[in-house]
Amino acid sequence: MLKLVVPTWAGLMLAVFALHAAEPIKPAQFEKLHALIKPQAHEEKYMQIPWLTSLWEARQQAAKEGKPILLWEMDGHPLGCV
Amino acid sequence: MGRELTFADPRIIRLVKENFVAVAADDWFQRRRKDAEGDFFRKVANQGPRKGQGGSTRQGIYTLTADGKLLQYRNHQDADIMHGFLKTSLAAWNRLPAVTRAKGSVEVAPLKAIDPRFAPTLPKGAVIVNVHARILDRQDDFYCHGTCRFPGGQRASHDHLWIRAEELRALMPANPRQGQEIAIPAKLIYRIARYHLVDNTRGEPPMWTRRDVRKADMKLMIESIDKREVRLKLMGSFLLATDADVKLAKRGYDVALLGDLRYDPERKKLTRFDIVALGGHWGQGTYTGGARLGRMPFGVAFELADPNRPADRVPPQFIREGGDYYNAER
Repeated sequence: MLKLVVPTWAGLMLAVFALHAAEPIKPAQFEKLHALIKPQAHEEKYMQIPWLTSLWEARQQAAKEGKPILLWEMDGHPLGCV
Repeated sequence: MGRELTFADPRIIRLVKENFVAVAADDWFQRRRKDAEGDFFRKVANQGPRKGQGGSTRQGIYTLTADGKLLQYRNHQDADIMHGFLKTSLAAWNRLPAVTRAKGSVEVAPLKAIDPRFAPTLPKGAVIVNVHARILDRQDDFYCHGTCRFPGGQRASHDHLWIRAEELRALMPANPRQGQEIAIPAKLIYRIARYHLVDNTRGEPPMWTRRDVRKADMKLMIESIDKREVRLKLMGSFLLATDADVKLAKRGYDVALLGDLRYDPERKKLTRFDIVALGGHWGQGTYTGGARLGRMPFGVAFELADPNRPADRVPPQFIREGGDYYNAER
């Protein structure tokens, strides 16, 4: 008779953690991995806007150019990790 | 993350570039600053709905004039709504007297003093390294961009590693020899491990405590030398886990590193700082919910930043937590 074995959550986690330490990175894959991880152009469209990061500098530039200021204010820098 | 998508809308990019001076700021710093810039920001914010009662957040999208008049405030991610917001802001600007809008009509004096606690600046002689993390998936015998259900969680994150002048000098010996092993300052090794090998792809991450660093191994060796360039190879591995018994750790990163560093021996200038960290990450933090289940491929890429680019000068995320960023080995 065929017996179906369903792994438990704890068993699955133990199996996952029983894996060996991270494998060394192959030098031949280095450049490709570096490029893969970095932001891609299509993910960075919002950076086509020339964002300043100093509100005071924005005031000075706006006064000089006769323009209003757009301030993107977030809890966590909008151009940082959030 | 969603607001990045808002500002990726081509209509919004065009409208902003043609009509506004755009600035992005961290409200956590800005609302606390005790200097003229902090005063100015609070004066503007107090004209809108976010008055910061009890020190609460004032985050959102503001349009304002150089002399501190709030035109409009909104906190929304929908591109259509924000496009409309920008157009009505521009209409409000155009209703102001011409003399108020004229070039040079407002005088903004240089900022005399900066609150160092809430406006951290790059130490003299330090370099900035961009740090990007990304979830990955296995594909054939390599990797591809990972997928997840968290909106935007598949994209690369942004942070910055600051390396101080004395640490740079340690990485660039005056009389390099091929095969020479360079002692990397422990401060730098632990700064990288604790504050930059983190999963910040879904928001502000928990950093690793000193105890969470279960293994830290990083070696740097001179590979080749010529008159204009010294090449170094970096190799390393870290085991970061919230419990000494890794099987019980709710969060962890078991990771290998490989790096290609270069410097100009005459100018004593770092010219390349490319590092890849790759390993299995598991778990999530209070503000980074939605992590994938189990130990999943996760990569971090480092490369020298452009110090003249405002976005690259954003301080390292850890600095806003008020800890000792430069002495992570303690």
